[in-house]
Amino acid sequence: MTAYREVRVRTPLALKILPVLSIASFFFLWEFVVRSGIVPSTMLAAPSDVARLFVVKLTQADPDGALLQEHAWVSIQEAFTGYFLSLAVGIPLGLAMGWFVMAEGLARPVFEIIRPIPPVAWIPLTIFWFGIGLPGKVFIIFLGGLVPCVINAYVGVKMTNPTLIQMARTYGASDWQIFRQLCIPSALPMVFGALQIALACCWTNLVAAELLAADAGLGFLITMGRRLAMPEMVVLGMVMVGLTGAVIGVVIDCVEKRLLAGIRR
Amino acid sequence: MSSSIANETTCSFTDRRPWTLRRVLKTRPFLYAVSLFCFFYGWDFLARSLGAEGSSSLARPLEVLAALVDLWDNELAELKLLGHIWASTQRVLIGFSIAAVLAVPIGLAMALNRTVNAIVKPLFDLLKPMPPISWISISILWFGIDETSKVFIIVIGTFVPCLLNAYNGVRLVEPELYDVIRMLGGNRRDEILHVCFPASFPAIFAGLQISMSSAWTCVLAAELVSARSGLGYIIVQGMNLSDPAMVMGGMAVIAVVAYGTTLLLTALERHLCPWKRKIAGL
Repeated sequence: MTAYREVRVRTPLALKILPVLSIASFFFLWEFVVRSGIVPSTMLAAPSDVARLFVVKLTQADPDGALLQEHAWVSIQEAFTGYFLSLAVGIPLGLAMGWFVMAEGLARPVFEIIRPIPPVAWIPLTIFWFGIGLPGKVFIIFLGGLVPCVINAYVGVKMTNPTLIQMARTYGASDWQIFRQLCIPSALPMVFGALQIALACCWTNLVAAELLAADAGLGFLITMGRRLAMPEMVVLGMVMVGLTGAVIGVVIDCVEKRLLAGIRR
Repeated sequence: MSSSIANETTCSFTDRRPWTLRRVLKTRPFLYAVSLFCFFYGWDFLARSLGAEGSSSLARPLEVLAALVDLWDNELAELKLLGHIWASTQRVLIGFSIAAVLAVPIGLAMALNRTVNAIVKPLFDLLKPMPPISWISISILWFGIDETSKVFIIVIGTFVPCLLNAYNGVRLVEPELYDVIRMLGGNRRDEILHVCFPASFPAIFAGLQISMSSAWTCVLAAELVSARSGLGYIIVQGMNLSDPAMVMGGMAVIAVVAYGTTLLLTALERHLCPWKRKIAGL
């Protein structure tokens, strides 16, 4: 016997149909607007053209020099290198800043100087330093992911219930013990929140980095589409960026659920 | 007495102990000073040692300052520094206002009405994962390279966080608050006016803050790709002239201006929404 019964709330039929209808009419309108010539085809491609180009690009490298999956792979590689780098640096830094006065005192001013600068602004400087290869882009993405990681880890530690800290002190726990056994576990939900936010930041900055300096990748595909005046390629690039980002987001969400399974939210 | 996020009231007191060297070393102002000194000295040292090798990829702090003074006095593309700052700020403010005025009501309507939600949510979910920066190319195709395309990018970039936060703000209102207003005999209208709006206000403002930083990213990206004015233009010019001092000067100005707008929003929030609970944070 279960302790509670599952309550099913039935959604009215209209609410089930409306989303489908809304998406369908969106695509229909889009297709119609382009086909009928209200928007010239030099400015916007019909969804059917985009779909056709998608299929073609899977097997054909022209006119931008790489297959679609190669572009996607380059982007994913860059994004993940920068992402994991920012996690590896940002989370420990944020946790330490939240608890240790020394760490906060030394790191915070520099962090506050760097924080308001949008990562995009680093692009020219990065090109000076690293050229347009992988390290430069990884650096930009790293900067983009770093800020949310540090902030979330910091806030997570700061939000530790002060009563628990006082109790631990009363029982004679050392600073390090409190940090390790109290602050870190209580900061974990915030830290996992940072995983998603940082990923979104990384992905945005990836596109920016690739728009300005790249020879492959999804952002590059968008730029090439504009240069070649092929709106279907621009839209394909945008769709691919969105799609890949969404898929990665879902994967991270699953990982997060698995890891957080034992922790009460 | 200060109230913490966990809703306990904690007493804070300071004890007076004599100032020893150990304690001075651990005070915040001292550590901040050390940190800043190390940062600028390290930067200067790095720039000098790199400059000695003949490569000029990093400017010394004083050179950056000199570049800023130069931009202040002399014109770059017919505008002085203040003109460029104003050009960027103007774009941000216009785009931000348009997006906030559109997105917040839509988000509220989505959270309050299931039919609106069923229609708008799928479309929104479709467009949400595309980074705003990926719209730059298509906005240039649509609007050319003048103001409209930049404002468009900013609207796209600020729309999503505004809408999401308004939506989630209403949905995450504590149900007890509704119970209270119902028990006091309120109808649906009272619920919305007296519970939904005030309770979701902090979340909406948080969304505006996120939007603001997103807007700065967008305006920069748009200006980096194509512009004749603005802070992004200064950076690009610096890059084209391979003048790192100018690039870093531009970055410094952006940091200051972006920080300023954030402060402004925070002040506005404190003024408009004094019931927000304090969260110890950055």
